[in-house]
Amino acid sequence: MRSIIFDFPLVLPIGLALTFVLLGWSIWNFRKRGLSKWRIALLATLRGATLLFLVFLASRPVGVEKQREQKESKNILLLVDKSQSMSLEENEQTRYQRVIDFTRKHLLPGLEEAKFKVQPFLFAEDAGPSDGSKLVAAKADGKRSNLGRAIARALESSPNALAVIALTDGAANEKSENMRALSALLDSRVRFIGIGFGSDTGVKMLSLQQVEAPPIAAPNTRFEITAHLETMNVDDLPAFDLVLLRDGNFLQKKTVAASSGSRFWLENFRVEEKSEGAHNYEIQLLPPNIPGLASAGTTGSAAVRIASERELRVLYVQGALTWDYKFIAMALHGDPTIKLTGLTRTSSKSVFRQNVENAGELLDGFPKTIEGIAPFRVIVLSNLRPTNLSPEQQELLGKFSGELGGGVLMIGGPETFDSSWRDSRLEQLLPVVFSEGGGVQGLDRPFQLELTDEALQHPLFQISDSGSQRQTWNKVPKFHQYGRVDSAKPGAQVWALHQTDDGPKGRRILMASQHYGSGLSAILTVQNFWLWRLAKDSEPQEFDRFWRQLFRYLAESSRQDVAIHVADQELRPDADVRLVLEKEPSPKDVTASKAKFIARVEDAQKKILAEQSVELPTGRPVDFSFHAGKAGLYTVSILNELKQPVATRSIEIRDVNIELQNSARNMENLRQWASLSDGLALRVEDCRDGAELFAQLKPKLEQARQTPRVRVPIGVNGWTFAFLLGSLSLEWGLRKRFGMA
Amino acid sequence: MGFAQTIWNGLKSFANKNLFMKKLKILFVILCSGFLANAENPPKREDKLATFFMGRVKYSSNDGRDCGGVGEDLMKLVSRASTIKIQEERQVKLAEALLFEAPFVFMNGHNDFVLTEAELQNLRKYLGHGGFVFGSGCCTNPEFPKAWRREFSRIFAGESVKALSYDHLIYRSFYKIDRVKCLDKPRDIQLEGLFYQGNLVAVMCEDGLCCSFSANNTCNDGKGISPNDGQKLALNIAVFALTH
Repeated sequence: MRSIIFDFPLVLPIGLALTFVLLGWSIWNFRKRGLSKWRIALLATLRGATLLFLVFLASRPVGVEKQREQKESKNILLLVDKSQSMSLEENEQTRYQRVIDFTRKHLLPGLEEAKFKVQPFLFAEDAGPSDGSKLVAAKADGKRSNLGRAIARALESSPNALAVIALTDGAANEKSENMRALSALLDSRVRFIGIGFGSDTGVKMLSLQQVEAPPIAAPNTRFEITAHLETMNVDDLPAFDLVLLRDGNFLQKKTVAASSGSRFWLENFRVEEKSEGAHNYEIQLLPPNIPGLASAGTTGSAAVRIASERELRVLYVQGALTWDYKFIAMALHGDPTIKLTGLTRTSSKSVFRQNVENAGELLDGFPKTIEGIAPFRVIVLSNLRPTNLSPEQQELLGKFSGELGGGVLMIGGPETFDSSWRDSRLEQLLPVVFSEGGGVQGLDRPFQLELTDEALQHPLFQISDSGSQRQTWNKVPKFHQYGRVDSAKPGAQVWALHQTDDGPKGRRILMASQHYGSGLSAILTVQNFWLWRLAKDSEPQEFDRFWRQLFRYLAESSRQDVAIHVADQELRPDADVRLVLEKEPSPKDVTASKAKFIARVEDAQKKILAEQSVELPTGRPVDFSFHAGKAGLYTVSILNELKQPVATRSIEIRDVNIELQNSARNMENLRQWASLSDGLALRVEDCRDGAELFAQLKPKLEQARQTPRVRVPIGVNGWTFAFLLGSLSLEWGLRKRFGMA
Repeated sequence: MGFAQTIWNGLKSFANKNLFMKKLKILFVILCSGFLANAENPPKREDKLATFFMGRVKYSSNDGRDCGGVGEDLMKLVSRASTIKIQEERQVKLAEALLFEAPFVFMNGHNDFVLTEAELQNLRKYLGHGGFVFGSGCCTNPEFPKAWRREFSRIFAGESVKALSYDHLIYRSFYKIDRVKCLDKPRDIQLEGLFYQGNLVAVMCEDGLCCSFSANNTCNDGKGISPNDGQKLALNIAVFALTH
């Protein structure tokens, strides 16, 4: 039986009143125009019928079927979580044991008393039917929690069930089938009732989350292997050890000091390799002996290719010959991988070239074309004035750094860092704002470089093998003069400050760098920086190492011809790894717009897993994927047509215990499932006994037995539309015929 | 009387005021002239923006004053050939720490000399850190070159002073010099040098090079090197030191 109700019943009396007023006014109007009575009656009937029908529709009539009891089923689907997070021990009992106790003592007796039939299911990454003995015997060792799949599977086996009751900590880490489960819940009108187990803060945890290392490093240059560590819910964490293995052999050990409270932090191992090759570095965390301490991961690894750059050319451009050039050239003397080319203005009309590759190179001075500047990875500008570089050449420098990924370093003192550079194209790409007045000149007192904390931590400034880096840098001799700049630009990294001189925005900056497009730019405002190497008490090798590292740092962004990005995804065993390959605009190859490469994937044993030819247009990302069957280190190499590697990236697939990553109870997840199905989410501690629990469950279960009233809107169809259109058309046609239209 | 006294005091005061103003004007003129004089001839020692420093070496018993203007003349040569700002020469003792602030030092002399252990130690460090020594015997006197070879060969173990053949970069660092003929002997002029870890760190010419580029060879007339060749060689040595 269906009855009609109105969603907006108030519309009916108001609409009827208005209809009668309008009809009265129409009749009066028709009579005034002298229409006969039968014509007035005909028009008023049509108009009235239309208006009355519109009022009826405006009140939103809905046809409702009468309530009736429909579900005869008394099935309750009981989902029991056996994922590994349920094995965590709290109050001398695992979460799973607590689930079994709770089911046995409180839940089952109540349900059985109310004559409900319980169908148990065990679930983790998958779900399957179970029974009492299996529930008791099961071990909570599932690798993942997929609550969505469990709901869907249970409903497949019993679509007429009254409700799904899930006994879980709610920490579901697989969500791929949530939509399917939700549809199944809504279609079969089954209530979800979640009962949450476990503590809301999780267990004590110390984990090695990730190991990070540069994909490529030069021989005899220090680099860092970094461990990302996390500790949670541990009040006092005693000291513990990290061990670094290289290709499976012990390399270094580090003791991490005791700490307290939850935190995420990094620990570095400093490594330097003498010869070229490829190495796998593995960090192992040796957790301290604390009862109940869990770890989501204790090992991690990264691969580093030790290779000399085939061509790291530095162009040193000087307004006049300076001693800095000589001493920097000396610093690079023992490093065949960095080639320094000098270009010096010796008079207003002549330039002096050094170490050029051919007779024509730089013959006309500073390059004017992208092809001319492209062979270099780093450009050093020393003692230059704006008049020495045309706006076009400055624009070229901007392209060199921003688009070709080159490094630009400006070095000099007051004459170089001069207000005449303000608002120039060059200033745009540098990390500092030039000073307008240049500060008070002539009052210079000897000063020492004061490195920032960030600098002291950065590999670029690691110039000594022994002692603290701060002490080493404190031994650098005093300088006399420096160029004054106002401030660092947003995003710039300040490396060194003046000890005492204050600028408009804090201490004067002596060294800074910033990313500019795909390249790097840096400034060093110390005049006569060479004094460091010549000084009586200095160690020349520290000066030399600094410069070699600085040039490599500045050239870093353009070292790989092809960038290998890992797309956003969860990296885990037995899954496809999606990568994005992008050919960088190369300083060495600016004319080729696209090129053919070979993408190769190797596992840790150097076994080739995939090899595929790819065409990479410059600057356009191309997707590439491979299947990672098991945990381990995979190396993706991009080879050129001569099968020489132009880019490599190692990708670690870790068998991380995702179950322990978030071990806290997730009631929010259970509440969401409950609210979407008009169900209920309870914490187990709120269910003190079976009666209390059942008092909360019963209304939901009773509701589930009732099917909701079926509402069908009335009048929203083609017939209504046809009626309205017909009556209006007829009314208009008649009025035209009666000479009123 | 009172009126006369008042007039008198007034006149005296006026006279005093005039005197005061006069003094003030003189002082102003002196200050201005001093300032202008300074503006025209800024003291070279304050020119810290200079990039070419040169030390004139006082060594052993030598007071660093042989052929007095030679250092200044060498710096003028450098400034003529490039846009480098130069600073006046500084007198430095080989055994002093000041040596380590001059990346290029010039030493010349007429006589034999022996370096002390302290001087040798300082030189060893100085040359090892990147310093450069330009030596020149004065007026083709053989005593200084002989001593220079002997003493400089003592600095680094296993390294002795060697002749620099004409294919060395130093002959092409600025001017391209194929050969320099000796004015009074049938041979070519030969620079000699000391190397450290493959780098040329000290150069000496025995044929009165400093006399030729500085004193127009008047003190060594008809001997050694012609002034034109001497200037080219000296400039090449300075530019080599600046770039290698």
